[in-house]
Amino acid sequence: MELTLAALNRFGLGARPDERRRISDPRRWLHAQLDAPPPLLTAAPASATVIADAVRAFRMARQGDERQRQATRRRLVELALAETRAALTARVTAERPFVERLVAFWSNHLCVSTSAKPLVAPLAGSYEREAIRPHVLGRFEDMVLASARHPAMLVYLDNFQSIGPSSIGARRARRADGTARGLNENYARELLELHTVGVGGGYTQQDVQQLARVLTGWGIDGLAAGRGVGASAASAGAIRFAFHDVLHEPGSKTVLGVRYDEGGVSEGERVIRTLCRHPATARFVAQKLVTHFVADDPPPAAVERVAHAFRASDGDLRMTARALVDAPEAWTPDARKFRTPHDWLVAVLRAFAATEASEAAPVVLRQLRQPLWSPPSPKGFGDSVQDWADPDALLHRAELARTIGRRPGARPADPRTLLDAVDAPAGDLLDTMLSDRAIDVPERVALAIAAPAFQWR
Amino acid sequence: MNRRTFLQTLGGGVLALAQAGVGFARVSQQGRFVFILLRGGLDGLAALVPYGDPDYLALRAGFAYDASELAALTDMFALAPGLSPLRAFWDRGELAALHAVAIPYRTRSHFDGQAVLETGLDRPLGASDGWLNRLLQVMDGQRAGVAIAAGTPRSMSGRFDVQTWSPTRLGIVDDVYLERLAALYRTDRALHGRFEAALQQQTLVGEEAMAGAGARRTGIVPLLQATAHIMRQDRAPNIAALDFSGWDTHANQGLAAGPLDRLLAQLADGLVAFRTEMESAWTDTTVVVMTEFGRTARPNGTRGTDHGTAGTAFVLGSRLARSVVVADWPGLSGAALFESRDLKPTLDTRAVLRSAVAGTFDLTAAQLDRALPGAASAAALARLMR
Repeated sequence: MELTLAALNRFGLGARPDERRRISDPRRWLHAQLDAPPPLLTAAPASATVIADAVRAFRMARQGDERQRQATRRRLVELALAETRAALTARVTAERPFVERLVAFWSNHLCVSTSAKPLVAPLAGSYEREAIRPHVLGRFEDMVLASARHPAMLVYLDNFQSIGPSSIGARRARRADGTARGLNENYARELLELHTVGVGGGYTQQDVQQLARVLTGWGIDGLAAGRGVGASAASAGAIRFAFHDVLHEPGSKTVLGVRYDEGGVSEGERVIRTLCRHPATARFVAQKLVTHFVADDPPPAAVERVAHAFRASDGDLRMTARALVDAPEAWTPDARKFRTPHDWLVAVLRAFAATEASEAAPVVLRQLRQPLWSPPSPKGFGDSVQDWADPDALLHRAELARTIGRRPGARPADPRTLLDAVDAPAGDLLDTMLSDRAIDVPERVALAIAAPAFQWR
Repeated sequence: MNRRTFLQTLGGGVLALAQAGVGFARVSQQGRFVFILLRGGLDGLAALVPYGDPDYLALRAGFAYDASELAALTDMFALAPGLSPLRAFWDRGELAALHAVAIPYRTRSHFDGQAVLETGLDRPLGASDGWLNRLLQVMDGQRAGVAIAAGTPRSMSGRFDVQTWSPTRLGIVDDVYLERLAALYRTDRALHGRFEAALQQQTLVGEEAMAGAGARRTGIVPLLQATAHIMRQDRAPNIAALDFSGWDTHANQGLAAGPLDRLLAQLADGLVAFRTEMESAWTDTTVVVMTEFGRTARPNGTRGTDHGTAGTAFVLGSRLARSVVVADWPGLSGAALFESRDLKPTLDTRAVLRSAVAGTFDLTAAQLDRALPGAASAAALARLMR
C-alpha cells in the first residue's frame, strides 16, 4: 500500500476527499497529530445528571408496572443511542484520525459492554469520554485507574457489588438478615488477564482473590437513595465513583509477590500502578497494538520496539504511539489489516465526506455484528481477518453497500472520487469499473465500498 | 442472467472451491452433528443439579433449589426448572447428561478455556485449527460445515473452508452487481475464496429457505430453528457450530425463573424446536452442548458464582444408546472440591466429543485421533452411543 494511504487508512480511520493530496510526509502527518492533547468531547449529548436521573428512574421502576419499566428502559436506550452517534460522529469527522483510532483501540482494550447489563448502556459514552479519551496520549496507568473508577466498569464487571468478607459492612449484613455477602472476583481477574499483565503474566488464583480483596469498597454513589450496605444517603447528582470504607476488606494483601499494607482506597491505586508497570504489561500491550496497527501476525521486532518504548517511558502512550509510527514493519507492503465493520462504516462515511453519523449507523454496526461498545465478552472485539472476513460477512457488506449506494443524499456525485480512498492503481479493474458510464452511479458507489480494496486498511 | 447461470460463469468458481477444499457436491448425508458452545462458563451445579448429594444444600446455602422445583432424572441429579423441556428427550432415550466434565487444562480464564475447548487440544495454542475444522479435514470433503450467526467460531476455523450464516442479512439479489463484485474479489488472493464460498452457499441452501429460516431474528430459539432449516435440506452442511453467551453469572444468577434459569429455558426450548424442525433428519443427528468451565461450588459474595473448573455437558440425539446421566461423581464435601473451591473434574470434554462423533459418523480410530488428538476414550462412555 502506498505510504500516504497506509497513514490514512491503517493508522487513521479512512481518507476523506482530498486528504490524500494534502499529505506530503505521512510519518510527519501522524507524529503531528500526537503533539497536542487529545480533543475532548465537551459537548456531551446528555449531562451526567440527566443520565443519572434516567438510571435512577429505571431502577425505581423495577417495582412499578410493566409499562413504566419499558418506558424507563427505552429512555436508557435513547440516551445510549445518542452517545453512540456522538462517538461515531467524532470518528467520522476527526481531523486527527490517528488519535481517534487510538481512542477506539483503548476503548476496546478496556472495554465495557452495553449488552451485558442495562445499566452500562447509558454510561458507556461517558466512559469513553472521561476514562479513555483524556488519557490516550497520557499515561497508561492513569487510563487504567480512570477505568477502574468509572461507574460503567464498576457495573460491567461487578466490582461495585464486591464486599470484603470481613469488612464492617459484611458483618453488619450478617447480623441484620443473616445473608453472607462477600467477594466478586470478576473485575480483579479481567484486570490482570485482559487489561494489564495478560494471561501469561504469571498470576495465580491466589493473586486474583487477593486483588479482589484489595478492590473491595471501590463502588458507586448516586445509583439510588439509601440502597445497599454502606451506600451513602446522597442520591442526587451524577452517578460517580465512591470508596466505601465499610465494605473494604481490612488487612494487608499480596499480589504478584508484592505486599500491600492496609491502606483503604490507596491500596488499589498502588496495585494498579504496579501492575501497569509490570514488564508483562508492556509486552502484552505492545503485542496488541502491533497486531492492531501492523498485521494479524505481529512482527516480533515491531513488538519489541513498541514494548521498549512503553517500558522506557513508564507507560507514556504518546511515546508508545510514536514508536508504532517509527516501526519500519508498519510500512512494508505486506503490513495490512482487514477492516472491522466499525472501521469499514467509518471509512465509508469519511470517504463520503459525511458531517455526522446518521441514525442508521448504529443499526448497520449491529447488523454487521459489531455494535459500538457491545463486545460479546470483556476481551473486546477482535481485529483479525479470521474474526471478520467470513463469507457471510463479505456478502452482508456487499448488500449494505448496495443499499448505501442507492441513497442519493449520502453518496458522492462522482463515484471516481472514491478511488482516492483506496489502493487501486490507475487502470486496474476497480478503476475501470468506476469509470464505466454504462454502470449507473448507485451501483458504482456500491462497487467502490464493497470492493476488496476497500476492505483493507 | 439468473443465479444458476451466473454461478456457472464465475470463471471456474466451483473448481476453485473444490481446490480450496469446499466439498459441497460430495456431501454425504449420513450423520449430522451440532456443537453448541455456551460461552461464559455455565454453572453446572445450577443446570444439572446434584440435589441428592448430602452436601448440596449446605454448600449452596440460600442458593439451592428446592427438590420440588426440579425435573429429577435420577435420585442424585435433576434438571433445573428451565431445562425441564429436555424431559421430552429423556423420555425418548435421547438425552445424556454429563457431570464433573472439564477441559483437560486447568484455567479459570474464559479465553484460554474456550481456546482449549474449541481447538480440542490439551492447552491453549495460538494458531491451531478448530476441532470441528480438523474433523471436516479428516472426513476429506465428505462433509461440509456451517457456522451460525456469529462469524466463524474458533471450533470451525482452520484450513478447511466453511460456510457462515447469519439471520440479519438483507437478502438482496442483484446478480449483475454480484458478478462484477466477484470479478473484483478474484483479484484479491486472500479474500476471493471466501467471497465465492458465500455465493455458492446462497444457491446451495436455497435463498428462500435462508430468508425464511431466520426472518432476521436472533436469539437462541430462532437460531436453532434456522439451523434445522438449513441442515435438514439435501446436500446442506451437516456439521454446524453455534455459540450463545450470557452464562457468566457473577452476580444475582437467581434460582427458578431467575436470570440464569430463564436463559436455560431458552436453550431447552431451542433444542426442542430444533428437534421438531429437523423432521426426519433428526434420526441421524447428534447435538453436543458444552461450556468452557463450570463455576465455583459455593456462591460468591454477590449471589452469583465465579469462574470454576468442572461443570456439565449434554449430548442429545437418536444415536444415543439410551438416556443416561454420566457422572463419576466426586462429591461436594470441602475435601472433595478441586482447590477447595470448584467441582473436581472426573471426565475430559475431549472424551465426550470423541464418543459423540464416533457414534454419529463412520470414522476410523485414526481419523478420530487426528480430529481430537490425545482424547482418550473414557470407559464411562463406552456405551454412550448406539
